[in-house]
Amino acid sequence: MKSLRGSNLVVFLLLCLGSVLILLPLWWMISTSLKPMAEILQFPPTFFPDDWQFSNYLKTWQAAPFTLYLVNTLFITLLVVIGNVLVNAFVAYGFAKIQFPGRNVWFVILLSTMMIPGFVTLVPQYILFSRLGWLNTYLPLIVPAFFGSAFFIFLLRQFYLRIPNELIEAARMDGASHFYIWWHIMLPLSKPILATVAIFSFNGAWNDFLGPLLYLNDETKYTLQLGLQVFKSEANTQWNLLMAGSLIVLLPVIVLFFIFQKYFIEGMDLSSGGKG
Amino acid sequence: MKRGVGIGLVVLLIAALGGLVWWMQGGQEQASNTANSDEKVTLDFWSFWGSETRRPIIEQMISDFNESQDEIFVKHTFIPFGDIWTKELAAVASKNQNAIPDVVVGDINAIKLRGQKQQVEPLNNLVDVNALQGVMHPEAWDAVQYENETYAVPFTMDTRLLFYNKKMLEEAGYTEPPQTWADLTEMSEKITVKQGNTFEKVGFYPLFGVGTDVWLINADGRNYITKDGEVTINTPEDREALEWINEFTDKMGRKEIDAFKAEFGEQQANPFLSEKVAMYVDVATFYTQIRDYGDHLDYGVVPLPEREEGSGHYSWSGGFALEIPKGAKHPKEAATFIEYMAGKEAQMYWAEKNFDQVANQEAGRAVADQLEDKEKEVYEVALTAMENTLLTPVPVEVPDLVSLVSPELEQATLGKKTPEQALQAAEQKVKAAKEGAQ
Repeated sequence: MKSLRGSNLVVFLLLCLGSVLILLPLWWMISTSLKPMAEILQFPPTFFPDDWQFSNYLKTWQAAPFTLYLVNTLFITLLVVIGNVLVNAFVAYGFAKIQFPGRNVWFVILLSTMMIPGFVTLVPQYILFSRLGWLNTYLPLIVPAFFGSAFFIFLLRQFYLRIPNELIEAARMDGASHFYIWWHIMLPLSKPILATVAIFSFNGAWNDFLGPLLYLNDETKYTLQLGLQVFKSEANTQWNLLMAGSLIVLLPVIVLFFIFQKYFIEGMDLSSGGKG
Repeated sequence: MKRGVGIGLVVLLIAALGGLVWWMQGGQEQASNTANSDEKVTLDFWSFWGSETRRPIIEQMISDFNESQDEIFVKHTFIPFGDIWTKELAAVASKNQNAIPDVVVGDINAIKLRGQKQQVEPLNNLVDVNALQGVMHPEAWDAVQYENETYAVPFTMDTRLLFYNKKMLEEAGYTEPPQTWADLTEMSEKITVKQGNTFEKVGFYPLFGVGTDVWLINADGRNYITKDGEVTINTPEDREALEWINEFTDKMGRKEIDAFKAEFGEQQANPFLSEKVAMYVDVATFYTQIRDYGDHLDYGVVPLPEREEGSGHYSWSGGFALEIPKGAKHPKEAATFIEYMAGKEAQMYWAEKNFDQVANQEAGRAVADQLEDKEKEVYEVALTAMENTLLTPVPVEVPDLVSLVSPELEQATLGKKTPEQALQAAEQKVKAAKEGAQ
C-alpha cells in the first residue's frame, strides 16, 4: 500500500511537470497580452508583467471591428458544423450499413481525396468558385461542408461498423426505412463521435485563415482570424494586442472542449469496448 | 410516413442550402451595383497596412488622392502581409475581372520575376517612365525593370544601419563609433562581459538583427549574381565575411551566443533597448522604437562598417512597389493613382509619418531637410547609407537563388563546412541551376 502511494506520487509529480511544460506557452501569451510594449521589448524578458495592462484587451477589441468579425465567424462556423455533422453522418451510414455494388471501390476513391494536398487544389477551386460568382460571399466557405469530407466520413463509418447489424436488421423487419434508422437509431447511438466531428469542424472553420483570405474581399465580411492580422506587419508587430486578440479568439475553442470533454472520453470507451 | 420524415429532412436541407446560395449571391450583386452607381471609376487597392500606426497614414494618402480627383475613387482593402500575394495570384489565375484588384502593394524583389511570368501589367505605356526614372532610387528602379519594360513603380525601401550605445562605448574607452570590421571586432571584445557561461553584456555579434547575407553584400557591394548575370558568391571578400563572423562565434562561444539569442527571441525583447548589446544592426525605422520605448538611451547611428578602409559601407534593402495585376479592369486609372503615390508629396507624407525610407529620392531629401534634432540625425545617416544600399531582386534565371545559397551559408556559420567549402558548393549549385534554365 505504501509503495503504491509512493509511485502514485511520482506519477502525480510527473503529470504536474508535463502540465507545466504544456501550459507555459499559454502563460507566455497571457503575460505578453498584459504587458505594455516597452516591457515586451525589455531584455531579459519578465515572466510576470511588472505593469498589468488589462486595457490591452479593450484596445485590441477596438483596433478593428472585432464584434462584426465575431458575428461573421459565428455565422460561418455554425453552418459549417451543421453541414459537416449531418451530411457526413448520412454518407457514412451508407458506407457502413448499406450493401451496394462497388461500395469498397467508392470508399477507396473517397479516401484517396485525402491524399491531395490542399494547396494543389487551391487555385482550381478558386477559379471554380469565381466562375460560379461566389467570390466575396460566404458560400465557398460554407457550401463545401454540405458535400462531405473524406476524413469525417471515414471517422463516422469506423464508428458505425461497431454498431451491431442486428439492430438495423430488426428495425428493417419492422418496416423502418434507412432514413428512419439513421435518424432514430444511428444518430442517438453515435453522439460521442458526432461531438468529435462537431468539435473538429468547429475548430476547422473557426481557425480557417486561407479560406476567408482568398474568398472575402470586403473588410466588413472578414472573420476573426483575418482581423487578428492587423496587429502584424512587415515591421513592428504589436505583440501585446496580438496575444490578447489570439487569447480572445482561443477562448471559445477551450470552452467548447471542456463542455464536450465527456463525449470525447465516452468515444474512446466505446471504440475499445464495442458495446452498443 | 416514417420514410417521409427522412426525405423531408433532406429536402429541407437542400432548400435551406439553395436559399442560402440565392440570398448571398444576391447580396454580392447588390454590393457591386451600388459601387457602380457612382459616376467615378472605383479602383480596388490592396495593401497590408492595417495596423493602427500605418492604416491612418495610407488612408490619408488615399483620401487626399480621392479629393483631388473627379474621375477616380480608390477603395482600400487591408489584406494580411505575405498572404496578400497568394490571394492576388489566385485572383490573377482566375482571369475574373471582378476578382482582380487594380493596384497591389508588391514585394519589390519579386517584380522582375512577376513581369517575366506575365502576372503584372507592363507600365511603359501607362506611366511617365522618364520622369519616374529621374527621381527613383536607381536600385529600386532597376528592380522593377525586366527586358526594357517597367512592371511596377517603387514605393518604399529601407536600409540597415549600425546603432550604437554611446555610454557603453565610452565605458570601454571609445568616443568614436566603429568604421570597419576590425573596429567592430576590437571594440566588441573590450565591451563584452561574460560571467561564467552567460553574457552580462555583449559588444557586438554580426548575426543579431541581420543574417549572413547582409554581410556578404557589405563585404563587396555585390549580390550573389550581378546584373550582368555573373555568379559572384565564391569571392575572397565573401570568404572573409564568413571567416569574420565565425571568428566572433568561436571567441564568444556558440552555445553561449545561442542561449543569449534565445532569450530575446524573434523580434520580441530587444537587447539593444535594454542596454545588453552595445552595437546593433537594424533598419532606420528602429529609431521609432527607441523613441517610443527607450528614451533613456544615449545612442548614435552610422552606416554599416566596411570590410576594410575604402571597401565601401554597403547595406541591404527590401522594399515594396505598386503593381497592376494582370487583367485588372482599369489599368489606366490605376496608373494615375500609382503615379500620385510615387510623387513627391505623397512620398514625403509616408516618409515623415512612418520614418521610413521611400523610393522617391527627392522626397527623401526634402523630408530630411524638414526634420529636426535626433530625427534629422538618424534620417540623414539613413540617406547617406542609401547611396550604398543594394536591393536583391530575385533573378529570373535562378528564381530559387536564396534557397540554394542559404543552407550552404548556414553550414559555414554552424562550423559544419569551412567558408571555402560552403561558398564553393553554393557557387556550383547556382551555376548548375543557371545552366539548367538556359
